[in-house]
Parts: sequence; structure tokens; C-alpha cells
Amino acid sequence: MTKKRKADAAPDLDLTPAMNLILILIPLLLTAMETIKMATINVATPQIGPSEVNTPPEDRPEDKPLKLTVALTDRGITVFARDQVIENKDDPLGPTIPKIDGEEESLTETGKMIPGRVYDYNKLAEMLADIKAANPAEENIIITAESNIKYHYIIKIMDAARDKKEGDKRKVLFPNVVLSAGIA
Amino acid sequence: MSEEMKNYEVLPDSYEQDMRKKRKGNKEKREAEAAKLTMNSLMDILTIILVFLLKSYSTDPMAVSPSADLTIPKSSAILDIQQSVAITVTKAAILVDNNIVMMVKDNKVEASQKRGGEDGYFIVPLNKALVEAAEKVRRIASVNSSVKFDGLCTIVMDAEIPYRLLTEVTYTAGQAEFSKFKFLVVVTAKA
Repeated sequence: MTKKRKADAAPDLDLTPAMNLILILIPLLLTAMETIKMATINVATPQIGPSEVNTPPEDRPEDKPLKLTVALTDRGITVFARDQVIENKDDPLGPTIPKIDGEEESLTETGKMIPGRVYDYNKLAEMLADIKAANPAEENIIITAESNIKYHYIIKIMDAARDKKEGDKRKVLFPNVVLSAGIA
Repeated sequence: MSEEMKNYEVLPDSYEQDMRKKRKGNKEKREAEAAKLTMNSLMDILTIILVFLLKSYSTDPMAVSPSADLTIPKSSAILDIQQSVAITVTKAAILVDNNIVMMVKDNKVEASQKRGGEDGYFIVPLNKALVEAAEKVRRIASVNSSVKFDGLCTIVMDAEIPYRLLTEVTYTAGQAEFSKFKFLVVVTAKA
């Protein structure tokens, strides 16, 4: 029995250098590891091509391409469909969906809400859902904004335009985003 | 059990002394052995963790480290990240594939860096870097059939960058034959 134990003990490896290496590698990889989940949004730019040959007759506006456009300004969101502004009945000269009093999440501090005038994403989603119901085959949306509008608002608009929650399901609205040049 | 106890009771005192000595000896021996750690199981655990971390590290197609100058916006998007040329726009600089191309000041590109001055959309150094990046992808594609150049690039942009700079970057990328964009976002659950 003692003989056997001696024979077993003989090939004892010196694991200290290997342990040192592993103990250094683990914290290194842990810090390098992605702790936040990232995803992407597909966006296209307008394609330059020949103008449409088959222009629809003027008296049938419903045959015109939808060309749904959402424009962001400091005052709110303006929605265009078939080259026409969707008017706000309360304020025909103002944006389609004016900013509302609310609060938005701080970019620097997680969870902190800052009160102020914010875009009404819910109303936009409702309006886009109505447009989608009338044009079920359409999937494209053009997004444009004033020069000073911050990037994260554009992302929020894309989120509102992508899909809408209806009960347990998510209804796809306009997932194909095309970015257009800014409003001067 | 009671039989054993009986047997024990009849044993002479000297036997018990012997046993005590023996036990003491065993204890000393055990203590000497205890100093030697068996690290096999610990090594097993650490090796598994190491392999797991190495695997998750290597499959990550885009390593982005948010900083004070780069706050990635939150979104409910679900599309996966794809390996492609990355344009990173922070509050301080524009990078192509993690190489600094030019500096940004007050969320603007200097007029002298643009074709057409202040009102121009074409950022000259960025276009040069992107043409080179596209050329590199094409060279790889010519020898590796699994890679192909499809004009896709990923835009990693700080949340506070104005729309103007975004359009300048996308326009410049478009001029370098990048027509499909993927905007990188941090995933949050949609309310």
C-alpha cells in the first residue's frame, strides 16, 4: 500500500506557473468580455437611379407611392405621406406630433429621468400603425431630421417605427429605414 | 455495538496508550500531508472557465468599449452584429476599424477637412480611410471565397452626435461604395 502511494506521488506536477498564468488570464478575459448585449439596426441611404417612367395620373393620389417620411425638428415630429404633410388638427402650422411634457432617461446616469419636453413616441407608433393598416404591403420609412437633432432620438424613432406591441404579439410596422439628408 | 464495547473494556491499559501514541503519530502525519494542496479539481474549474472565456472572446465580431466620449444609444433592436468595416464616431474622433482617422471638435468636423467647406458633406480623410478599408476587404475576398464585399459597414456612434454629422458620415461612406449600414445599439427590453 505504501509502495503504491509512493509510486502515485512521484509524478506530481508543479502546477504553480500554470496556475499563475490562468489566474492572470481569467481576470483579463473577464474584463474584456462583453457584459452588455449589443445589436444592430439596418439602415440604407437613398438609391440614386433613373426617375420613374410610369408616373401615376394626377387625379388618383392613392396610386402615388406612399413615401412615408418622418421628420424630426426641435418642436416635434412631422409625418409626410404621398408627399403631403399629415396635418395636426389643433395646430395646422405646427408639427404633426408636437413634443409633450414628460421625462426622458439620462444618457450618462442609468435610470435617472430628466423632466422636459419630449417626443411623443407612442402617438407616432399609433399613427404609423394606422398608416400600416391602410398600406399593409409598405415596409419602408424615410427618416430625416434637423441638423442639431441628436443621434439617440433618431434611434428612438426607428424603434417606434419598427414594430408595435399588440397584446402578446408585436406587429411589424416599417422596419426598412432609409436615412435622408437633413432639413436645412 | 454492545459487543464491541465489551471487547474494548477488556483491553489492557497499555493497549490504549499504544493506540493514543499511534493516533498522535497519525495526526502529525496528516498535518504534514495537509500542507500539500491537491490542486487538480481547482485546475479543472479554472481550465473550464478559461476555455469558456476564450470562446466567448473569439466569437465576438465587434469589440466596443463604451467610454465618456462614446455612449452607445439604447434600442429594442434584435438584429445580430455582423463582421464588417466599423466606423466609430465619438465626441472626440472618427475611427475606421479602430484606427483614428481624424479628430472631431464640438460634434463637428472642421470645414477644412470637408470638400465644399462648412456646407459640404464629403469628409476627405474619412473617405480615404474607407476606400482603403473597402480595398482591403476586396483583396481578402479575391483569395478567400467566404468573404465578399457587399458594401456593408457598421456605424458605432455616440448618442449625442447631431444628425448633421451622421449624414456627413453616411454620405462619405456612400461615396466609398458603402451603401448598407448597421447602427450599433445597446439592447434594452421594449416596454
